[in-house]
Amino acid sequence: MSALQTFMLVVDHDKDEAKRIADSVAQDVESKKSTLIEIVQQLGEYINDEDPILRGKAVSFLTAVIKALSPRFLTRQQIQVLTTFFSDRIEDGGAVAGLMNLQGLDRFTKELAVEIAQALFANFQDLQSRSQSQRFQVYQLLNELMSNHRAALREMGDDSLMGVVDLMTGEKDPRNLMVVFSILKVVMIEWEVTEHAELLFDSVYNYFPITFRPPPNDPYGITAQDLKGRLQDCISASRHFAPHAIPSLLDKLDSTSPNVKKDALNCLIACIHSYDPDTVSKYSITIWEVLKFEILNAQEEFLSESSLEALSAIAQRLSEGVTQVSQDLPLAQYLRPITKECNEQLQEPQHKQAKPAQQILKSLSSASAATFSIIVQTVVAPIFTIYQEADGIAKQRALLETLAVLFQSAVHVFGQWTTRGGEVSQENPLLEFKDQFSDILGQALMGSAKEEISFRITALKGFLGLSTLRDFFQDNEIGLFVQYLDEILLKEESTGRNELKKEAIAALAEISKHKPRLIMDITFPAFVATLPDEDDGTNSLYLSTLDTLAQISVERDIFETLFRRLFSKLSVLLQKEQPGSAAYPRAILMTLLYVMQQRQMDADPNIDLYFDKVVVGLCRSVAESASGQGKNQLFNDPTILDTLGRLGNLLVRAASAQKQEQVAQNVYSLFSTGGFDPVPFSQGTTVDQERTIIISTYLLAGISKDCSHLIPHAASDMSGLLSDLVKRSVSDSAEPATHLALLRHLALLVNKFLSKQDLVIAETLFDSLVTPEGQSFSPAMIRTILWLSKALVLRLAPATTHILTSLLGLLSSPDRQTSEATARGFAILLGDDDVLSTTNGATVRLLSKQRVFSTVIPLISSRIREVNIAGNTDSTSQSYDHIKPAHLTALAGILSTISTALVMPELPTLLPLLLQSLDLQTSDSIAVRAATLDTLGVIIRDNGVVVIDKCGHVHSLVQRLLKTTESKPASSGVVNSPRLRVDSLRCLYLLATKQAPTESASNARIPPSISPLLPEKAQVLRSLRAVLDDPKRDVRKAAVDARSAWLRSVDDAPEEED
Amino acid sequence: MAEMQNENPTILNLADLPTRSRSAVKTSDQPSGIFAAVPNPADFLSSDSEDDDLLEEPIDEQEIYDLIKSISDPEHPLSLGELAVVSLPDIFIKPTLVNVPDSPLQTVTVLITPTITHCSLATVIGLGVRVRLEQSLPPRFRIDVRIKEGTHSTGDEVNKQLGDKERVAAALENGALMQVIAKMMETCQ
Repeated sequence: MSALQTFMLVVDHDKDEAKRIADSVAQDVESKKSTLIEIVQQLGEYINDEDPILRGKAVSFLTAVIKALSPRFLTRQQIQVLTTFFSDRIEDGGAVAGLMNLQGLDRFTKELAVEIAQALFANFQDLQSRSQSQRFQVYQLLNELMSNHRAALREMGDDSLMGVVDLMTGEKDPRNLMVVFSILKVVMIEWEVTEHAELLFDSVYNYFPITFRPPPNDPYGITAQDLKGRLQDCISASRHFAPHAIPSLLDKLDSTSPNVKKDALNCLIACIHSYDPDTVSKYSITIWEVLKFEILNAQEEFLSESSLEALSAIAQRLSEGVTQVSQDLPLAQYLRPITKECNEQLQEPQHKQAKPAQQILKSLSSASAATFSIIVQTVVAPIFTIYQEADGIAKQRALLETLAVLFQSAVHVFGQWTTRGGEVSQENPLLEFKDQFSDILGQALMGSAKEEISFRITALKGFLGLSTLRDFFQDNEIGLFVQYLDEILLKEESTGRNELKKEAIAALAEISKHKPRLIMDITFPAFVATLPDEDDGTNSLYLSTLDTLAQISVERDIFETLFRRLFSKLSVLLQKEQPGSAAYPRAILMTLLYVMQQRQMDADPNIDLYFDKVVVGLCRSVAESASGQGKNQLFNDPTILDTLGRLGNLLVRAASAQKQEQVAQNVYSLFSTGGFDPVPFSQGTTVDQERTIIISTYLLAGISKDCSHLIPHAASDMSGLLSDLVKRSVSDSAEPATHLALLRHLALLVNKFLSKQDLVIAETLFDSLVTPEGQSFSPAMIRTILWLSKALVLRLAPATTHILTSLLGLLSSPDRQTSEATARGFAILLGDDDVLSTTNGATVRLLSKQRVFSTVIPLISSRIREVNIAGNTDSTSQSYDHIKPAHLTALAGILSTISTALVMPELPTLLPLLLQSLDLQTSDSIAVRAATLDTLGVIIRDNGVVVIDKCGHVHSLVQRLLKTTESKPASSGVVNSPRLRVDSLRCLYLLATKQAPTESASNARIPPSISPLLPEKAQVLRSLRAVLDDPKRDVRKAAVDARSAWLRSVDDAPEEED
Repeated sequence: MAEMQNENPTILNLADLPTRSRSAVKTSDQPSGIFAAVPNPADFLSSDSEDDDLLEEPIDEQEIYDLIKSISDPEHPLSLGELAVVSLPDIFIKPTLVNVPDSPLQTVTVLITPTITHCSLATVIGLGVRVRLEQSLPPRFRIDVRIKEGTHSTGDEVNKQLGDKERVAAALENGALMQVIAKMMETCQ
């Protein structure tokens, strides 16, 4: 049997074998064992057969052989012969594929391309009756010719144009249409289409609007949006389509379907961007007349937005090349009816349609400098007239809002003082009205009744817009505005929610970016003058002054001034015998801290100055105060030390490596020059002296790990230092703030500075603390144990599991106090801390939280089960009834410090525990229940009811939530605080609103099923009716929301979403 | 939707609607603004106490207003509050049984001002307000929703419809009507 015959036998069912045969024949041809002529002659027997399938297989053989030949093997002449051969039999299977191969070869010529195209156009009149894949192949061939031999096809002129249109007419398959649209787009853009505009336009517009919906699990991945995009490209391809396209698209806006309208608008916008300005101009007013209604009587917001976009696009096109504004411009003619309409609507600025008129002005005036000028010339004067005649403040405010919209556009077109871009040669047309604006806005801001807050805020925002507008106001005019703002902040009483003051501060902060000089010259002196020398306890107005100063001082120059002024205030205070309350110096330090947090301190050129003044200077003062050499007691105050510590910490982190080394050496001595005894290893430490550990801790947190060898007592063996800290922290005598600092200090050393091989020191220390089992531990002792555990667990020390089991052992202690204190401390373990944080370079391993959670949860769960069983069988074990609440408290502590993503895998174990937590009823369980409700709320919000239903706990959960919503008299022993009631109502609300998981809704149609909440509905509605009468307003509000969510959303079948 | 009856009504600014001022309660002790960011180190052990637990906050006119101001108008994508269809001075809470001072029963009266005097949707709006209040108030409240005198050409007729229990119940059985009302209440949060 010849190769051809074998090929024809296997080609249908064994593609690989067929390919192998063709490959070997091709090899023979290449090695001259046989020739192409021989192969073609072999075909002779079959290619005239009556059976088209047989013919197709024979031609496919030739195609397969050609495909297997190396690309440069065929001579020009051979290509020519083969092309003619295939073109003659183009209707037979395989011929199109053969041509596809040939046309890609280097030696293929223009003339041959024309020959193929002609064969295609002549022989496929019946293309649409063929199968999809055959049509696809034909389009593919045409598409390849378009990209490889476009000039040849273009020279065919009308023949190729008509040919393409004829071929594709009637095509319906989305895969084919994707190719067809891209072929047609080339024809539309590059061919001479004037004569055939309507034909071409109709050939694609027939498909508008696209209503295609991909079948489920569509293997081809073609979306309706893909088709819409390509169709839109065709419709907007040539300006010659405009007479057909624009009226047709505008007609489609009469459709009742918002989606059709949206497609039409998108297409219209594409046309506006793509047609030339003259064409756009011809239709501009017609388009406005139609779109007007979409904006003024907006059905759907997105339709009005698209319509505005279209109008603005027209304005942009018509502004192209405009340098001189005149009334004869097409742009001016286009804008005339629009501004007329807007002016009419703005006559009654409070009416509903004034808002869309404002939006029209907004999107058009920001389109270009030319439109901005024309609109300002026609709109601003009438607004002034209505404003003067307005009979009420509400009306005036609506007008000010319209002006503010124009100011925004001005900023968009002309830029702000400090922004780049927008350099426009034209003069800002608003300049003509500058004095009027200043008068009106100033009058509205300062001259109207003080309680007209929203009116004054509108004026303030308008004024701010103009003040930041580049090259508009003079500095003295902005200065006037700054003075108004100062006056509002310093002289006016606070009213309501203080919104005006908040806006005033924000405005000053904004101006500080553009005109820092004005803030330094005007605002600073005025504000600093009101700061007292000391707080004598009579008023704390300085707080709001400092608050304002902090918020407007983020700019570099202003900050430097702020620092100098405040630092000198502080220095004066430190020298006073009677310095007044500690709150004032602390507020000053907090102000500096706040601003430094907002700034990039490590990039600040003055960082060394700040470092020397604060870290070196003030820390030294602390040491002096601690050893009784201070003028007053300010620096013995723990709250001041804490704030100063934070400030120092921030500066140390930003300081150079060299400075950090200095700090490391002085962590305990605090740069003192004598007379101060550092805390570690000091005997008979005074309370004042020990308090300096607060500062030491913040400094230690700030320095880099590389400095560990410079820390006193830590260089070779840290065990002595650690033992000393533990000794201090387990004694109950320390003040709370000092105690916390000692704990953090210990944790920092162990977590950040202790080397890996020395970890065993800390682990031995831990064991020595927890060993005497069963005894009673003091609260200070337990906190020391937990902080030490925290330090080790966060860096996932080898002993992590051992540490966690030891802690759980303490939970089960027969001593009630030990157990309860440990339980409360579990939140410390993974909780975020300001000092032991990644910002401060602490070692926090990514998996530490997960490790703790997955170790602890099964242990807690099985322990609680044991206790439950023991409780049922043995009612005498009263002495152990604290163990279950303690475990639940510990659980709540851990849950409050980890993300719910970690929780989800353990949900089946966890949920019964959470439900048992809700069963606790006494007042000391409030914190546990609140944390439990928080966790439940997040679980429901992120995952929906489904996950609860999967564990089979919907009913038990709803019952417990309802119980927690009840407000009971205190005498009953059951305490549901208002916050608990609100939280459980919130959970009920979330249950009803999160019945379907959110993301999966798009890809899979969920079969209509009965909501798992339905059996609970009647009872929930009944119980919540009583909660509607709760004595607390917030609870009632939550109850209303939860109840209406259940009324609305819990139903037999889920709503059909479109 | 059929042709709108009032295409261009006056609207109030949201910021100008009456709200409960919370400023009177607790601002003095709490640090505000930038000072709230730094915790006082003395706080770290004490749990927050809720000592205003016992203070009762009775249901007042503002609360009723807050319940109904966010209902959407069936014609416009605006709320009844913004359109001034409901307003705070037109809400009254009175004891139902004046002669029985201990009775917990109270009557809420809401007067509705249609945007135009011939608004055919006044009944629907009235029903919407009524349904919202019935769903949101405890059973000891009696609800009375009426058109404000002189603001509607057929006010008496509408009031009869809104005041008649049987007719209200019948209207609420009407599926299409309930759908409109459900749509109006979607914006209530």
